[in-house]
Amino acid sequence: MRFTVKDIATIGLMTALIEAVKWALQGIPNVEMVTLLFMVFAVTYGLKTCIASLIFTGVETLIWGVHIWVIMYIYIWPLLILISYFMGKKKLPDWAFVFLGSFYGLFFGMICAVPYVFFGGIKVAVAWWIAGIPFDILHAVSNTVLCLVLFKPLRMALTKIIGTPYKGGEISEDNRHT
Amino acid sequence: MTNKKGGAKLAIIITASALVIAAGVFALVYFLNKPKAEEGTKAYTFVVVDDKGASKEYKGKTDTQFLRGLMDELKAKGDFTYEGSDSEYGLYIESVNGLKADYNVDKAYWAIYVNGEYGQLGADTQPVNDGDSFKLAYEK
Repeated sequence: MRFTVKDIATIGLMTALIEAVKWALQGIPNVEMVTLLFMVFAVTYGLKTCIASLIFTGVETLIWGVHIWVIMYIYIWPLLILISYFMGKKKLPDWAFVFLGSFYGLFFGMICAVPYVFFGGIKVAVAWWIAGIPFDILHAVSNTVLCLVLFKPLRMALTKIIGTPYKGGEISEDNRHT
Repeated sequence: MTNKKGGAKLAIIITASALVIAAGVFALVYFLNKPKAEEGTKAYTFVVVDDKGASKEYKGKTDTQFLRGLMDELKAKGDFTYEGSDSEYGLYIESVNGLKADYNVDKAYWAIYVNGEYGQLGADTQPVNDGDSFKLAYEK
């Protein structure tokens, strides 16, 4: 994977946008656009989005300090980016990404509970996951609505910005930037 | 073309059904395992430890189910105050008895202890059971 000056600038912009959007929606519990934006970036810019996710985690750590969620963020966003990237490569339709957002919201707590297995044992991890299920369900609902409304237009807009007309689920290899 | 559209429609229906079923199973798991609180009159001990290590103890009986309710009851009695904000993780306690803990300034926060152990739940979801001892401690 080679990084150009354009890549570095793009990664910086992606991180800034995600951080700004996270702050903007911070007051509304369980409504976030980080998932949506990482999915759109992954299918448009490819695996280099993982770097943006790690920088995003670094910025969040600088703001909020080191906590167990830092470990969660280190793997949960790159995992979403990988899944989105390979779904994009398979040229899956937009509705498949809407469902990816829904399922990711629903399973977010379960995936995040993994570090608790190592810090407190499987019982603590399961208890932590169960306590957060109502939030996961709300997260799934809000992700579904946001992805349903915004995934396609954002993907189209971003594809247009990088220079290839949108063809409904297909991203040109030339513009994948990986 | 029609077959392709029909296939996509079927795939959407199947995936949406899987999503609803998964959400239903999760909800069932939650309702079968959520933290339960005892009903009735429950004795409690509630201690506040400030930044200098000085402690103030409150004792009594309550019917409230969760720690936040107990804090609200104490607040209503007038000898205890707290302020906080609601976030996606529940109540975030910002100040107790006028003492503010600002994590952004000096990494200070109000920690919850339950029966001597560091609490695993927030004030909104921490059940109050008979004989429980709670401690709110200013920590850095």
